[in-house]
Amino acid sequence: MPRLTFTSLDQTILNTLTPPKRYYWGIVFLLFLGVMLGASCWAYQIFTGIGVGGQNNPVAWGTYLINFVFWVGIAHSGTLISAILHLFRAGWRNPIARAAETMTVFAVCVAGLFPFIHLGRAWQVYYMLPLPNQRLLWPNFLSPLMFDVIAISTYLTVSSLFWYTGMLPDLAAVRDRSTGTRHKIFKYLSFGWTGAHEQWRHYTRGYLFFAALATPLVISVHSVVSWDFALGIVPGWHTTIFAPYFVAGAIHSGLAMVLTLMIPLRKLFKYEDIITIEVLQNVAKTIVLTGLIVGLAYGTEYFIAWYSHNSIEMEQFRWRALGDYRWGFFFMVLCNTLVPLLFLFRKVRTTIVSLFVISLIVNFGMWWERFVIIAGGVAHGFAPHAWGLYAPTMIEYGIMLGAFCLFFFLFVLFAKHLPSVSMTEMKETIAEGAGHAA
Amino acid sequence: MPPKRHIMGLFKSEDKVVAAINALKQSSYEFIRVNTPIPSHKIMDALKLKSSQVGWFTLCGGILGFIAGFALAIFTATRWNLIVSGKPIIAIIPFVVVGFEVTILGAVFGNVIGLLTQTRLPSFRWFKYYDARCSGEHFGVLAACEPMQEDGLKDFFQEQGAEVRIFETIKESPQL
Amino acid sequence: MIENDTKNMQINQTKAYWVFFILVAIGVATFIFGLASGHPERAWQAYLINFLLWSAIAQGAVLFSTVMHITKARWSGPISGLSESFTAFFPLSFILFLLLFLGRTHIFPWLHEDLHGKEVWLNIPFLFWRDFFGLLILYLLGFAYLFNALQLKFDPNQPSGKIRKYIYNAWKQNHRDPERIKGRMTIYGGLYILAFAVVLCLIGFDLVMSMDPHWISTLFGAYHFVKSFFIGLGALIILAAVIRLKQGEGSGIKPNHFHDIGKLFFGFCLLWADFFYVQLMVIYYGNIPEETHYVIVRTMLAPWNKLAWAVFIICFIGPFFILLNQRIKTKPVLMLTICSIVIVGIWLEHLLLLGPALSHDVQSIPLNLSDGLISLGFLGLMVIAVGYFLKVFPEAVPAMENN
Repeated sequence: MPRLTFTSLDQTILNTLTPPKRYYWGIVFLLFLGVMLGASCWAYQIFTGIGVGGQNNPVAWGTYLINFVFWVGIAHSGTLISAILHLFRAGWRNPIARAAETMTVFAVCVAGLFPFIHLGRAWQVYYMLPLPNQRLLWPNFLSPLMFDVIAISTYLTVSSLFWYTGMLPDLAAVRDRSTGTRHKIFKYLSFGWTGAHEQWRHYTRGYLFFAALATPLVISVHSVVSWDFALGIVPGWHTTIFAPYFVAGAIHSGLAMVLTLMIPLRKLFKYEDIITIEVLQNVAKTIVLTGLIVGLAYGTEYFIAWYSHNSIEMEQFRWRALGDYRWGFFFMVLCNTLVPLLFLFRKVRTTIVSLFVISLIVNFGMWWERFVIIAGGVAHGFAPHAWGLYAPTMIEYGIMLGAFCLFFFLFVLFAKHLPSVSMTEMKETIAEGAGHAA
Repeated sequence: MPPKRHIMGLFKSEDKVVAAINALKQSSYEFIRVNTPIPSHKIMDALKLKSSQVGWFTLCGGILGFIAGFALAIFTATRWNLIVSGKPIIAIIPFVVVGFEVTILGAVFGNVIGLLTQTRLPSFRWFKYYDARCSGEHFGVLAACEPMQEDGLKDFFQEQGAEVRIFETIKESPQL
Repeated sequence: MIENDTKNMQINQTKAYWVFFILVAIGVATFIFGLASGHPERAWQAYLINFLLWSAIAQGAVLFSTVMHITKARWSGPISGLSESFTAFFPLSFILFLLLFLGRTHIFPWLHEDLHGKEVWLNIPFLFWRDFFGLLILYLLGFAYLFNALQLKFDPNQPSGKIRKYIYNAWKQNHRDPERIKGRMTIYGGLYILAFAVVLCLIGFDLVMSMDPHWISTLFGAYHFVKSFFIGLGALIILAAVIRLKQGEGSGIKPNHFHDIGKLFFGFCLLWADFFYVQLMVIYYGNIPEETHYVIVRTMLAPWNKLAWAVFIICFIGPFFILLNQRIKTKPVLMLTICSIVIVGIWLEHLLLLGPALSHDVQSIPLNLSDGLISLGFLGLMVIAVGYFLKVFPEAVPAMENN
C-alpha cells in the first residue's frame, strides 16, 4: 500500500473537486425531484390541514416526530466522531471527521424541519419564540417542547460553527490550488487563512474548546429530545432511562449512517488509502458497543416493567412485543442489537459489502425503534377504551421521502464542492506517523 | 531607511523548521513568522509563545449565556405567574436545561469571537509575503533583513535545507 | 537499581502495613460492638454502604484497564497496570458479600412487607444466588483478564514467593506468543466490560433500589455502574499519586498521565451528575406519587436534604470548578486530595440513597463515629489488598527502563 504523503493526499482530495460528470448532475436532479415531492406534500398539508397525516387520537405523534428523532439521532454521532474522539485523541477519526461533521449539520437541518411540518399551521411557529408582542404572551420554558427549541437551535448553531471552523485551513488549501472563480470564492470562504503561527496558536485552542463544548451538548440535546416523551406520564414513555438510552441509540444510528455514506464515498472518490478498512472496522466495533447498550436498555425496560408490578406498565410492554406493532418490535431488537453482533467477527467487519448492508439494517431498525416507542407508547396507554392504532398516510410518506432526499441532496452537493476529507487533520496523522517512525 | 527585504525559506520537514527558527533567532536577521499546513507542537514550542487568550472569551461567553438562559426562563415564567402542572412558578430543576443550553451557546459564541479577534480573521492582510505552497506540503519561515544582507539570508536558508523565495517589497500598509 | 527500589518499597510497605491492619481491627471491633448493641441494623447499614462502595471502587478501577486495552488507547501508560492491582480486592469483596447474608434480617426492609407478587424476585435465596453468581462471573473474568495481562509484564528475575511460583508455572503452560495473549486479553476484557454493566446493574437494583421495594427507576442500574467507574477512577488516581509521590520519576507516571486521567475523572463526574439529574428531572416532572416520595424524602425533607446538598456540592460543584483548571490536574497531591474527598462524598451519597430506607423516619442523619470507624476498616482492607498485590507483582509499577 503506497504511503500517503502531503502531496498525494492533497491531490486525491482536490481531484474530487474537479467539475463533475453528467451522471452526477443526474443524481442531484433526481434527489431534487424527491425534495420537491416532499415540499409539495408539505404545501398540500399546509393548505388542507394537519389531518391529511395519519395522526389522530390516540396517536397524535406519528412519522413527523419519528423522523425528527431519527435525524437528530443521526446528527449526534457526527459530533461524537469529530468532537468526542478528538478529545480522546483517537486518530482513526481523522479520515471521517469532516464528512461526519457535515452529516451532522445537514441532519440537524432536516430534523429541524419536522417540528415545523408537525405544527400543521406552520406560520404559528412564532408562538414558540420569546419575542415581545402586543398580547404580552411569552413561551413557557417549563415545557419540554420549549427545551427542544433552545436545544436544537443551539445544536444547529454550534455544529455549523464547529464545522466551518474546522474547514478553514482546508478551504485555504483549496484556494491555494485553484484558479479563476473557484480561487476567488475560496479566497473569501477561507477568511484569509494562511496557516501563520499567530493563527494556529489560537486556532488549536479554540478548536479544543469547541470539541469540549460540543461533547456535553451532544448528550444534553438528545436527552432533551428524549424528554419530549419521558416527561409525560404515558406508560412506556415515562421512564428515567430514556435520556442515556436515546443518546446511545442516536450514536448507534449515526454511526451506521456514517458507514452508509463513507463506503460509497470512498469508492467513488478513491479514498481507499485515506478511509482505510481499519477506520471502518473501528466504526463497526463502536456499533457493537452502542448496539449492546441499546439492548441492555431494552432488557432493563422489560425487567423494570415487570418489577414495578404496575398492571398498565406491564400491559404496554406485553403489547409492545406481542400486539399489533410486534413486527416493529421484532425489527427493533433484531436489527439494532442482534445483527450488529455479527461485527464481532473480523471477516464481517472487514468486508465492504457486509459493512454496508449491516449499516442499512441498523438504520432500518433504529427507525422502527422510534416507531415502537413513539407510536406504540400512545397507541396503548392508560385507558383501554382509548386504545387505537396509527398508520402513516401517503402525504407522510411523501414528506419522509422528501426529507431523506434533502439530506442526500445536500450531502452529494457538499461532496463535490467542498473537501470531504479533512486535509489538515490527515496531514497531522501522516506527520505523526512519520514522527513515530523516526 | 531603505525598506527591508523579505525572504521565505520553504522546508518540507518540521525538524528542519525548528532548527532554522532557532538559528534565525541567534542571527541578526529578523524572524517574522512561520506558515505551516498543519499545527505543529514542535514548532510552537520552539517559538516559545505565550498561551492563547481565547479561553477567556469562551469563559465570559459561557457566564453570559448562563445568566441569559436562566434570566430568559425565569422572566418568561414570571410573566404568566400562574402555577402550571403543579410546578413552582420559578422551577429551577427544569430551568437548568434552558440555562445549560444557553450557557453552551454563549460559550461557543465567545469562542468564535475570541478566535476571530485573536487570529485577526477574516482579513487579507495575511496574504502579504505568503507563499501558496505553505498550505500544501511546505512549511514557510519568513524572515526580513536589510537589503545588503539579502544574499546572506538567502544562503542561510539554503544551508538550512530550504527552497528560497524572495518577495518583492510590498508598500507598507499601516495595519501590518 | 530496580531491585533496590523494590526492596525499599517492600520495607516501606511493611511499616505502613501495620497501620492498616490496625485500622481493619478497629473496624471489625466497632462492627461487632455495633451488632451487640441495641441497634444492629445501624452496623449492618454501615457494612452495606461500605461493601457497595469499596467493591464498586475495585470493579471500576479494573474496568479502566480493560477499556484501555479494548480501545487500544496508548495514553494510559503505567496506569493501566496499576488499575489491575485492584483485582486483589475481588476475593475480599466476594467474602464480604457472603457475610452480608448473616445480616439479611437487618438489611432488607422488604422481608416483612407484602410485596404483591414481587416475592418471586425479591426473596433471600434467589437474590443471594443471583448476586453470588453475578459477582463470581465478574470476578473470574477479571482474574482471567489479569492472568493474561500480567503475563505480558512478568519479569522472571523478581524474588519469588509461593504465589508467583504458582502463577509462573501456570503461565508456562499458557500461550507465550504476545499476540495471542493480547487476543485473550481482548476477549476477557470485553466479557469483563459486559459483565460489569450487567452485574453492576443487577447489584444496583438488588442491593440499593430494592431497599425501597415499591419505587422504580429504570436508569438506576446504569447509574450504579457509572458511579462505580467514577469512584474507581478516583481510587486509581489516588494510587497513582501515592506511587508517584513515593517513587518520583522512577514510577514512570508523568504529569501528563495525571492530566489525562484527571480529564477522564472530570468527564465521569459530569456523567455521574448527568445520570443523577436525568432521574431527578423525569421523576420531578411526572410528579407521580409512587415515584416522587423517594426523591422528596431524600432531597426536600429534613434531615436528608442537608445530606443531599452536601453530596451535590462535594461530588459535583466542587470538582467541576476545581478540575476545570489544567494545572491542578497535573499535581498528584491535589488530585489525591480531591479524589479522596469525592470518594467520601460518594460514601455519603450511598447513605443518602440507602439511609431513609434502612432507617425509617429518623430525626437526624444516622451518621456517627462508628460508621467512620467501620469505613476505615474497609479502607484498611482495600489498602492491604492492593498493597499486597503490588508487593507480589511489582511489575505493575514499571520503572522507566521497563516502559
